[in-house]
Amino acid sequence: MVTNRSIGLKLGVGALLAACLLYFYAIPTWVRSPSNVREIVMSPVFWPTVLSGLMALTGIGLVAGALRGGEIDTPDDEEAAPPGGPAAWARLGGMAAIMVLTMFLLPRLGMVWTSMLVFAATAFLMGTRYRVLAVVCAVLLPLALYGFFAHVAGVAIPQGNFVRLP
Amino acid sequence: MSMFDSILAGLALVGNVEAFLSLAVGIAVGVIAGAIPGMSATMAVALALPFTFAMQPVNGILLLLGVYKGGIFGGSIPAILIKTPGTPASSATILDGHPMAERGEAGRALGMALYASCTADLVSNLALILFAGWLASFALNFGPPEFFTLILFSLTIIAGVSGESLMRGALSAVLGLLLATVGLDLVYGTNRFTFGDPNLMGGLNFVAVLIGLFAIPEVLALAWHPTGHLGKTRKLGASRASWADYKRCFRSILRGSGIGVFLGSIPGIGAAPAAFLSYSEARRKSKNKANFGKGEIEGVAASEAGNNGVAGATLIPLLALGVPGDVITAIIIGAFMVHGLQPGPMMFVMNIDLIYGLFIGLIVSSVFLLVIGGLAIRGFKFVADIPKRLLVPGVLVLCIYGVFAVNNNIFDVGVMFVMGWVGYAMMRFRVPAAPFLIAFILGPLLEDNFRRAMLMSGSDPSILFRGPITWFFWALTAITVFAIVRAAIRSTRPQGAGAAASGRVS
Repeated sequence: MVTNRSIGLKLGVGALLAACLLYFYAIPTWVRSPSNVREIVMSPVFWPTVLSGLMALTGIGLVAGALRGGEIDTPDDEEAAPPGGPAAWARLGGMAAIMVLTMFLLPRLGMVWTSMLVFAATAFLMGTRYRVLAVVCAVLLPLALYGFFAHVAGVAIPQGNFVRLP
Repeated sequence: MSMFDSILAGLALVGNVEAFLSLAVGIAVGVIAGAIPGMSATMAVALALPFTFAMQPVNGILLLLGVYKGGIFGGSIPAILIKTPGTPASSATILDGHPMAERGEAGRALGMALYASCTADLVSNLALILFAGWLASFALNFGPPEFFTLILFSLTIIAGVSGESLMRGALSAVLGLLLATVGLDLVYGTNRFTFGDPNLMGGLNFVAVLIGLFAIPEVLALAWHPTGHLGKTRKLGASRASWADYKRCFRSILRGSGIGVFLGSIPGIGAAPAAFLSYSEARRKSKNKANFGKGEIEGVAASEAGNNGVAGATLIPLLALGVPGDVITAIIIGAFMVHGLQPGPMMFVMNIDLIYGLFIGLIVSSVFLLVIGGLAIRGFKFVADIPKRLLVPGVLVLCIYGVFAVNNNIFDVGVMFVMGWVGYAMMRFRVPAAPFLIAFILGPLLEDNFRRAMLMSGSDPSILFRGPITWFFWALTAITVFAIVRAAIRSTRPQGAGAAASGRVS
């Protein structure tokens, strides 16, 4: 069982590192402030800087809490946590691949065909026992959603470059 | 015209089949739209607007109000059944509604959501009728400093939804506040964390963040452990919440309704913060504090009362002042104007029959919501019987369509996926998602009002203490923070730990 103490330590150290990264790199690089700002509280940099300070304080609080060991350990969520192992990591990698491919295919294949592939791929990745039903749902659900969003809600669903639906 | 004459005139206006049919159709459309993730109540009202142009003014406005009220309740259906809030207002309902569904009590959770929604809706409508003038004039006293202190107090909700660790809740909230800074600066229009991408200039889409944070981690959790849910009860269970349940939750429902009415009467706050504040207060006052977040029916009742309490109250500034309380009432103002009506104080003089007609229609809408909502639950609740490894791919596809539909933007789908991984990491590290969401909603409001207050005062911070309203919220914030710190210190003491452990370890 992963303990609250170890989680608290990891989160605390992570928050402190994130606060340093924000303060020393991200804010100076990615937040633009006009040169004519006279009051610091009006500057676009002010709020993110305050938040980086709060992040550091939270990190210190988490580390201190973990070292004090005051929190109660609770069991892991069965569905979110182990059993891990190579198969579980492979499935997570598979989901990441499905998401990346979805972003790549949406403008090219269109939303309906991409969604069909997403449904089928996800169902088979999860190891569904209802394979035929999964294929049927993979075809029907995106079509039904297309019908609703395109023809009832008036949303311009991307059609892709190949097969276009009415 | 006396009040009795006004009521009679209103009754003459709405005492016909067309008016009640408009209301019923509106509620039905709203419930269906609310139950589809991505099809928010706002979108449904906007889509229904053109249909009202050819209708009688009172019928058209009743139709839109029906869509609004139905949409707010409808969002709770997928929130409970598939952990995907149909509307942002239903985010808090997930916290206890979904665990109840997982425990085989989906019907009970849905039933309580309906009863709480209808009760809060009725309270909200009565508040509109009784306090429209007074509340509207009170809300007029809110400037940026008052809004800042109100939102600062609202951020103390985070403690109520942080679950087992206050510090992890705080970390989650800071992350949410940080994510809310992405986009163009509110005052100077310069880039903040946009990384040169024009898609980020408008900030991150709220619905994409919301669905990514709550729905996608469920998909990833199932990928990690596809058989983890087997053996768990995932049936409908009791199809209705009992009278005993309702009686037990009645205080929380009334309190949530009051919170919803108060926040709804202040323009710009919205239903989601009201739901979270109501949930937090219910948890703070409840005898079953330890069960919150694990499937406590009182949590469902409180959050649904909070968000539905807003529905009638947002019409207070609309009707009394002509100021829209939220995006939906801004759309409804359009319907008034199309029919040549100008909401505001003069409307109570020139169109008193229409005002009372709407009031009567709104009272009836609570009854219609009970009937139509009950039918909708019967229709939707079978979702709980679908095998999870078929349901989850369906949820993923539904999320893709829903998130795209909000802005017609594929980039938002990417934001949803990224937030899904963030949400999954938070789930694995037991960092609660609710504080993140609350902070993401309230962050821009907090910063915006702070800077506007500073602009008003020439950067003099004393403006934040300028009157009784600000003092009141500062005092509330101080008391709440003191209570939170005291409770946190007590919970880490050895003797408290033992007691807490017995109550908290499931």
